Amino acid sequence: MSDSMILLLAKGAWETIVMTFVSGFFGFLIGLPTGVLLYLTRKGQVLEHRTLNNVISVIVNIFRSIPFIILIVWMIPFTRALVGTSIGVEAAIVPLSIGAAPFIARLIENSLIEVPGGLVEAARAMGATPFQIVYKVLLPEALPSIINSASVTLITLVGYSAMGGAVGAGGLGQIGYQYGYVGYDVFVMNTVLILLIMLVFLIQFLGDFIAKKVDHR
Amino acid sequence: MIELRNITKKFYQKTKAITALSDVTLTVPEGKIFGVIGASGAGKSTLIRCVNLLEKPTSGEVIVDGQNLINLSSKELAKARRHIGMIFQHFNLLSSRTVFENVAFSLELDHTPKQEIQKRVSDLLSLVGLDEKHHDYPVNLSGGQKQRVAIARTLASNPKVLLCDEATSALDPATTKSILALLKDINKRLNITILLITHEMDVVKDICDEVAVISEGQLIEQGAVSEIFSHPKTALAKEFIASSLNLEIPVDYKERLVAAPAADKRPLLKLEFTGQSVDDPVLSEVARLFQIDSNVISARMDYAGGVKFGVMLIEVFGTQENSLRAIEFYQNKNIKVEVLGYV
Ligand SMILES: Nc1ncnc2c1ncn2[C@@H]1O[C@H](COP(=O)(O)OP(=O)(O)O)[C@@H](O)[C@H]1O
Ligand SMILES: [Mg+2]
Repeated sequence: MSDSMILLLAKGAWETIVMTFVSGFFGFLIGLPTGVLLYLTRKGQVLEHRTLNNVISVIVNIFRSIPFIILIVWMIPFTRALVGTSIGVEAAIVPLSIGAAPFIARLIENSLIEVPGGLVEAARAMGATPFQIVYKVLLPEALPSIINSASVTLITLVGYSAMGGAVGAGGLGQIGYQYGYVGYDVFVMNTVLILLIMLVFLIQFLGDFIAKKVDHR
Repeated sequence: MIELRNITKKFYQKTKAITALSDVTLTVPEGKIFGVIGASGAGKSTLIRCVNLLEKPTSGEVIVDGQNLINLSSKELAKARRHIGMIFQHFNLLSSRTVFENVAFSLELDHTPKQEIQKRVSDLLSLVGLDEKHHDYPVNLSGGQKQRVAIARTLASNPKVLLCDEATSALDPATTKSILALLKDINKRLNITILLITHEMDVVKDICDEVAVISEGQLIEQGAVSEIFSHPKTALAKEFIASSLNLEIPVDYKERLVAAPAADKRPLLKLEFTGQSVDDPVLSEVARLFQIDSNVISARMDYAGGVKFGVMLIEVFGTQENSLRAIEFYQNKNIKVEVLGYV
């Protein structure tokens, strides 16, 4: 393999990592509060609110049903308004974050549902406010499960970012697409594949490791 | 200290309404331990949850320490709840926090300074006998230790009353005893009024001053523990008292037991002493008066609220005629006699 090819692959890997983690971060920034709100407004929860719950739920479902490749294209005007361009890593982060957020929201909601109701009850009996219940009871108790959700999300984002490569997002996906699909260079294609697999394994390993560390159940 | 007035609670499920409590009125005087006993599904949990408004009654008044809780804003209610402690059957400790951090929880809610938390939590953990366990996680504790942590946690905010929702139902008998002793100690030492619910008469007998019997959402009987034990009015109250005294016939007697009298067999009697039974040395009186020897097979006598009650299984040696006269003698002393068979 030529030096320039190594450089290209290294750059691609770095771009994929940046896309995955940065959009994962923004995805959580939107998805976490949404998931918490979905949980809190459920029937029987501290902020029970049927209408609000339904509205959020519908929005989340709509965004989850849009295939990611279509979401990228559909969001181009918005992306361009936000970051000034519709190609490259920065541009890809916008639809990736929006694509991940509803997914994360549902994962968070499910993690919170798993927290035994008695714990919320005990906190209420001690006079905790809804906000205190969220950050002192629900989130810490759901942490191991939330970390597992984070690995699932990041792994999904690795795949999404590769998909985005086909429409100019950069990263390993784009290299794989150009050299593999267009140029049919089997060697480069397989190298890209191996790098992606390594990244996924690494995320899973780290996720499991941290989740285990914080789990005292 | 705790006053429930005409509490009714209905749950609405799709089309039908379940009345979990109907017109419940009770008063727990300051410094007392009040027990509510009932079978599963009777409405006990709903009742105790109405006291701190975890469950909002459909109608009625809840007054704790002179304050009517029904119309408080959620902020005022949160504040009122700081002075109403509560412990649960399944402890409800935070698995993500150590013992120390669990106890610190309610202090953190009030933004208590770190140093004060440190001191207060240490004091509370020694009060409940868990000095060594500060940094353990709940998963590594026994049931009894978990309940001790829960008690320390709820005491942290200096409650005036303590609500116990089946606090010992998940514990073995020995641990139950020690937790009950701790509750009694807290009641005496800190003058905390306790309302507890349970399905075990033993709990009532061990620590309660007053008791109410709940059935299908209604309080069907209430009074001082000694009063209920000596003059139970309802069948259910009698049943609970009897259940706390359940005596089994030992296996080898059971194998020999026959229903009809026989030449080589002797009657097996079950004597039930209630508060109304005359407190006389009946066994020796019977021996003297009717030349009857009694072999005590098993017995369980107990005291609750100053009255003696219990059951006894005895094997009777004597003529048939004398045996019958002895039975009559027991009955005249208000001791319930049942001939279980012949052994
Ligand atoms: N949240 C609820 N929704 C509907 N029904 C309920 C609810 N909570 C309790 N109930 C009903 O109220 C009755 C009393 O329940 P509960 O107070 O838990 O009884 P106990 O604690 O004595 O076993 C039961 O019939 C139960 O099914
Ligand atoms: Mg119950």
